[in-house]
Amino acid sequence: MTTDSAHAPATDRSADSGAHPAGSRRAGASRPRRSRNRDSLAGYIFLSPWLLGFIGLTLGPMLASLYLAFTDYNLFTAPEWTGLENLGRMAEDEKFWGSVRITLIYVLVGTPIKLAAALAVAMLLNYKAKGTGFFRSAFYAPSLIGASVSIAIVWRAMFSTDGPVDGTLNLFGINLGGWIGNPSLIMPMMILLAVWQFGAPMVIFLAGLKGVPAELYEAASVDGAKAWRKFLSVTVPMLSPVIFFNLLLEMINAFQVFASAYIIGSGTGGPGGATNFYTVYLYTRAFANNQMGYASAMAWVLLLAVGVLAFILFRTSRSWVHYAGDSK
Amino acid sequence: MFRTLSRRTLTGVAALAAAGLALTGCGGGGGEPAAVDTEEQITLNYTFWGNDDRAARYDEAITAFEEKYPNITINDTFTDYPSYWEKRQTEAAGGGLPDVMQFDYTYLRQYGDNGLLLNLEEYFGNGITTDAIDESLLSTGKLEDGTFAIPTGYSAWSVFQNPGLLAEAGVEPYAGGTSWEEYDTYMASVTDASGGTVYGGTDTTQRIQDLELKLRQDGRQLFTDEGELNFTQEELAEHWQEGQANRDKVTVPQSKLEEINPVSGFGGNLTTSEMSWSNFLGGYLGDSGAEEITIVAPPTSNPDEKDLYRKVGLMQAASSSTEHPEAAAAFVDFLINSPEVGGIFGATLGIPASETQLEGANLEGPDKAVQDYLDSIADRLGEAPAAPVAGFGAIEQTFWDLGKSIGLGTVTPEEAAQQFFDEAAVTLGS
Amino acid sequence: MTTIESNPAVPVPRNTVGDPQPRPRRRSLRRHIPTAFWVVGIVALTAIVLYPLLWMFSASLKPNSEFGSNQGFFPENPTFDNFVKVMQGIAGIPTWKFFLNSLLLGIGAVIGTVISSSMAAYAFSRINFRGSRILFAAMIGTLLLPFHVLIIPQYIIFRNLGLIDTFWPLLAGKFLATEAFFVFLMVQFIRNLPRELDEAARIDGCGHGRIFFSITLPLIKPALITSSIFAFIWSWNDFLGPLLYLNSPDKYPLPLALRIFNDQTSTSDYGATIAISVLALLPVMLFFIIFQRFLVDGVATQGLKG
Repeated sequence: MTTDSAHAPATDRSADSGAHPAGSRRAGASRPRRSRNRDSLAGYIFLSPWLLGFIGLTLGPMLASLYLAFTDYNLFTAPEWTGLENLGRMAEDEKFWGSVRITLIYVLVGTPIKLAAALAVAMLLNYKAKGTGFFRSAFYAPSLIGASVSIAIVWRAMFSTDGPVDGTLNLFGINLGGWIGNPSLIMPMMILLAVWQFGAPMVIFLAGLKGVPAELYEAASVDGAKAWRKFLSVTVPMLSPVIFFNLLLEMINAFQVFASAYIIGSGTGGPGGATNFYTVYLYTRAFANNQMGYASAMAWVLLLAVGVLAFILFRTSRSWVHYAGDSK
Repeated sequence: MFRTLSRRTLTGVAALAAAGLALTGCGGGGGEPAAVDTEEQITLNYTFWGNDDRAARYDEAITAFEEKYPNITINDTFTDYPSYWEKRQTEAAGGGLPDVMQFDYTYLRQYGDNGLLLNLEEYFGNGITTDAIDESLLSTGKLEDGTFAIPTGYSAWSVFQNPGLLAEAGVEPYAGGTSWEEYDTYMASVTDASGGTVYGGTDTTQRIQDLELKLRQDGRQLFTDEGELNFTQEELAEHWQEGQANRDKVTVPQSKLEEINPVSGFGGNLTTSEMSWSNFLGGYLGDSGAEEITIVAPPTSNPDEKDLYRKVGLMQAASSSTEHPEAAAAFVDFLINSPEVGGIFGATLGIPASETQLEGANLEGPDKAVQDYLDSIADRLGEAPAAPVAGFGAIEQTFWDLGKSIGLGTVTPEEAAQQFFDEAAVTLGS
Repeated sequence: MTTIESNPAVPVPRNTVGDPQPRPRRRSLRRHIPTAFWVVGIVALTAIVLYPLLWMFSASLKPNSEFGSNQGFFPENPTFDNFVKVMQGIAGIPTWKFFLNSLLLGIGAVIGTVISSSMAAYAFSRINFRGSRILFAAMIGTLLLPFHVLIIPQYIIFRNLGLIDTFWPLLAGKFLATEAFFVFLMVQFIRNLPRELDEAARIDGCGHGRIFFSITLPLIKPALITSSIFAFIWSWNDFLGPLLYLNSPDKYPLPLALRIFNDQTSTSDYGATIAISVLALLPVMLFFIIFQRFLVDGVATQGLKG
């Protein structure tokens, strides 16, 4: 994961042409070889808080849940070893597969939309003009609200029959009725809720855009590049570490979507199982049905599945994510 | 693993503490617990779920208790209902349940059968006075090994009506206690009269209590004595099917209910009637803003059967791991019996189960209406079912979800019945 | 050595990105057209995004009994009673106490997260030490497990440490960088800094400590600001942690207090619930408005003594 990116994006050439003496002055400086041991010591010193937290607070509980995944554990009596039974039950559990299905749809449809919206708005808001602070705050505002009964009430009002969404669609001759009471429209509504709260990736994109030097755009302009070309050849490569981060994290978060589904579905996965997302179901098993063993097995299945996806993403990132600090 | 280890350690600590007590003569020998020590400074943790109103009342009750027992301090903590049980489950698994807890009948068996609750029977007549509590109510806290919780109050299944909405629709209120056909006719006439803006009621097959009521009217129970479902999948499908005619034309569409959730159809002034537990009166008044809400008895197919029962809801219980069982028992007794506490809470924890507390409560207004209703159905009140099976809360929820799904049209009654039995097998089998 | 780009060792006066930089130019009219589009588009988007929030603000003036029957924007009988009620406190605990607790936890979270996560991120991205790859993979792994199955074991750990009903279980994880999100975020930013700066500093005899403090930290300011914003807001909205670890109501932060107006088992006051949610929103909004300003500056104004 710390391998150097092999392909330097096209931008570098245009950047090269823009003279930047300070950079090239150091270019020839040879990298002094340090003793690896001394670096290891420094590494562990810097890592010590994380390491302490990892070993003390995270690793133990993770291993405990891994053990529980192979047991029958009702929270009240000692866990009983059942081997792979939980996995067998999972394979035959229709509700489990239902939750897998809707979670996959949510991830595959919702994540790209949310990221595209976040990037588009971040670029809009990177404009240096009066009032951008206001707009940034406005776009981030929805993401400030925690998951609470309040947001459920608001959301219900937005999507009820003749509510703002239904009313607007009616103007265009689309008559869907209320979304809340219609299980087949719950998914689009959940995705809209996620997109609406796009503040986190937006701010991260914005922070990333701050690191893109204006010279690159100027250089591209000199070369006669149009806006779209500048976006592809300057913005995307320079932003690639941040795009990669947002993609990975939003994907992971979408797989674990819980709070909004729990609130909208009143914690029951309703209406008609439409909000029974993977972790909502896992939570129901763990705390409503007292089947922590089964829930732990579900958790580890998710970890492995998303872990494989994350691994693939990391692999492909070598070809499209460009780190300025890694290139030689 | 970690959990068994910690449990073992805890048991060890508890055993040591018990041994220490026995040696110093503090613990009562021979199963005769001593009355609460008035010298030692004791701190008890207490927890409840509820709203800000209940929190203020508990605050007052605790102050009164601390005045009576100056050496005991009560530290209370509170949250909303679903979070309350998530936290209790965590504490139960990790050790560390509070000394005294507001409890729910639904969870009694789960906690009591697993040895997490203090057997209060050991303190009956010796710290806890039971004389003022009706035997049938007291016994609701009884499991095989003892009595683990005492009800604060009770309620019963009932039909709520909104006279204001009825007057607008120009329909006579439902009289209560008649046949199901009459209730159906009543609901239909409201829906017809209003032209679809206000409905006569909500699907009367949606909740597990609806099925229970019908079973009891046939002289049956929801669960067998062994804690298994006492009806077949076909019967359940039929039960849900019976509601179809009303769902099609009469009762409020489920999709409308989803839109105003968490307010119910009745609370949102969408229906003129709704069946629920009698203690929901206060909530309905607040949600609907109606000036008056009346309560009558549910319809019955068999007027001679004692189909209704006094439903215990809130209870008080103590943790088996408490270091001060006598003080805990004293606090439970105070919360259950004290007329002062009755005056503080009124009927907000149900109509008080203890006579002394009921007198102190001096009910008036809506509380009085609930009490009058409960008195009025006295001859329909039968024996309450045994303490709910472990996992009843999940079963009840699943039933309601499926009932709603049928209303939304996502499953047929047959499919729903199938799913319910699959779910119940998992929940009851574990 | 192909990358030259951002080398803030030289404080070049520089405009931040943004395509159409409004600048006195001759083709000013043609410059104004995209600006107009920009304004119209962004105002329309803002209206859509803000509408639900405005609805919520408006709903905070609705009496409780309107929540079932009136889903419109305007209250039929507007009232400030909801605010009066929530400002009265809960069971003798004044409402400002909940705000104060939330604020303390939020500040603690920001400090802890920024310090611990930036240190870990520096180690992962700039120090070549034994086991770094496997530890990095392990860190990503911690992101993947749904937290519900970790609740009980973590509760047991903090209970054995005797820390129940203190703020420590809520803050310890922040100071120990247990949220891999932040570490990974900073790793991405540090890796995108040119290495030449480090190399130069090393030649000058700087150790990792100096490089970290005087080169890396100033350069990843946007990431630090972003992390601060998230750490604060997530702490502000965290419900589960306080629920599990706090018992005394006078230690409750807002999310716990917020739920108490809503009891599914008896009576709920939706008006009060919305009102306190609105009040709870104001401080975080203020926090965001203040902190996002620093995002404007970013690296661009970072002069560095190289």
